[in-house]
Amino acid sequence: MTDTPAGVIVPVTRSVTLRQTVGYVIQRALDQLADGEPPQIHFVFIASWRADDPGSTADRKQADELLEQVTTWSQFELEAANADPDSVTIETAVIGDDDYRFSPTDYADLLTEYAETHNSSHVVIDPEYSLVGHTTLLEPFEFELQQRDLNVTEAPVDRSTRRGRLVDPGSPARFLTLFGGSFLFYQVLGGFSGLFDIVTGVATALIVAIALDDVSFYRDPTLTGSPKRLLRAVLYVPYLLYEIIVSNLVVARVILDPRADIDPRLTKIRVFVGSGFPLATLANSITLTPGTLTVKADDQELYVHSLVPFARDGLFDGALERWVRFVFYGREAARFPSPLDRGDTEVLQDPAAADPPESASAAAADGGVDRGVDTQEGDR
Amino acid sequence: MIATARIGLIAVFVTLGLFFTFVSTAGVIRLPDVFSRAHTASQADTLGAGFTLAAVALTLGWQSATVKTVLLLVFIFVTNPTAAHAIARAAYEEGIEPWTTGDDRR
Repeated sequence: MTDTPAGVIVPVTRSVTLRQTVGYVIQRALDQLADGEPPQIHFVFIASWRADDPGSTADRKQADELLEQVTTWSQFELEAANADPDSVTIETAVIGDDDYRFSPTDYADLLTEYAETHNSSHVVIDPEYSLVGHTTLLEPFEFELQQRDLNVTEAPVDRSTRRGRLVDPGSPARFLTLFGGSFLFYQVLGGFSGLFDIVTGVATALIVAIALDDVSFYRDPTLTGSPKRLLRAVLYVPYLLYEIIVSNLVVARVILDPRADIDPRLTKIRVFVGSGFPLATLANSITLTPGTLTVKADDQELYVHSLVPFARDGLFDGALERWVRFVFYGREAARFPSPLDRGDTEVLQDPAAADPPESASAAAADGGVDRGVDTQEGDR
Repeated sequence: MIATARIGLIAVFVTLGLFFTFVSTAGVIRLPDVFSRAHTASQADTLGAGFTLAAVALTLGWQSATVKTVLLLVFIFVTNPTAAHAIARAAYEEGIEPWTTGDDRR
C-alpha cells in the first residue's frame, strides 16, 4: 500500500487563483483520506535565482513567505472541513536554487526529480501558474510533465481573470504607454509640424488614454520586456511578408490554372501560444497567408480551413506558431516541436478517414495537387 | 537614370497589384463555397493593396505622406484577417459545411 506514490506536488507562484488551487488540493487530499490512503501534499516553489546570487535572499524570503501563506490556507481549509490537521502531511520546499533554469524542460526535469525522491506521481497545477517572469508558458510545461509519466491535473478554479480579460483596471504604465503611443501617432500623421500640433496632440492623446486605458493592453507594458517584444515583432514582419507572397503565388496558380484543382479541408490544430493577444496574432497571421483561414478559435484550438495541401503542410509545420512564440516569449520559447510532431493536428472531413477510420494521418497522402511548388519549402 | 528606374519600378508594382486583384476577383467567381472564397478575397487586400500602396509610396517619394501609406498598409494587414475570420466564423456557425473534393454542390 505504501508503495503506491500517494503524494501530490503543487508548484506555486503568487497568482490570483492560488487560493482556490489550495482549496482544491486539500479537498482532493480529504477524498484520498476517506479512501484510506494517507495523503501527502508538497507545495514547491521553483526558484528563478541562484542561492549564491547577490540579492537572492530577498527572493528567498518572498518565496518562504508565500509557502507559509499557502500552509496557513491549507490549515484553514482543513479546519473548515473539520478534519484532523495532522491527518494530511503538508510539506513545503524551495527547489532549483542551485542553478539557473531556462526552458520548460528544465523545470519539468526538476519537478520530476523532486517527485521521484518524494514518492509522488501526481502534479496539480494552478491554471494561472507561470514560470519565471512569463518567459515560458504553462502549456509546454504541462506537456513536458506529461512526457515524464506524471499525472498532471489542472486545478478547476473560477478564473476571475478570464472574465475580466478584456477589461482590466488601468495602470500608470498602460496609461503612459497609450498616451505616448497616441501622441506619437498624431505627430506622425501631422508630419511633426509645430506647436499647434503638439497642443492638440496632447489633448487628443489624453482623451484616448483616459477612454481606452483599461482595454488597450493585455498585460502591463514594462521597460525591459515590451521593447524586446516590439523589436522581435519587427523581425517577424519580413518573414510574414515572405510567407504571404509565397502562399499568394501558390493560390494564384491554383486559381488561374484551369487544370489545377483545389483540395479544401477543414483542419483542427492545437497551438501553444498563450491565450488573448498572442493567440489573436497567430490566428490573424494564419488568415493573412492565403490558403489558410482561421474559422474558429476555441481557446487554444484553432479550426483552420485550408485550400491546398501546400498551405496545410505549412500550417502543420508550425513555422508561424514558432515565430509567434518567439515574438512574445523570446528565442528559448521558439524551440518547440511542430504541431505535426506533437500530434496536435487533425484533418476534419477527410475522405480517406471516412472509409477506414484509422488512417487519419492522410494530410500528406491526399493527392499531390501542387507537388511542383513544394520545392519552395526548402529555402528558409 | 534613377528617375527612369523609379518609374519602371512603380509600373511593376502597380502591375503586380493589379495582377493580384485580378486573381482575387477570378477566385471569388471561380471557387465553390464561402470558405474558399474568403481565402482569395483577402488576396486583393494583402498583396493587391500591398503592391499598389508600395507604388504610391514610391511615387510620393520621401515625405510625410509616404509614412501614411505605410500606416495604411499596417491597418489593412490588421483588419483584413479580422474581417475574413468574422465572415468565416459566421458561415461556420450558420452550419455551412465546407466544400471538399467530390462534393456535387458548385
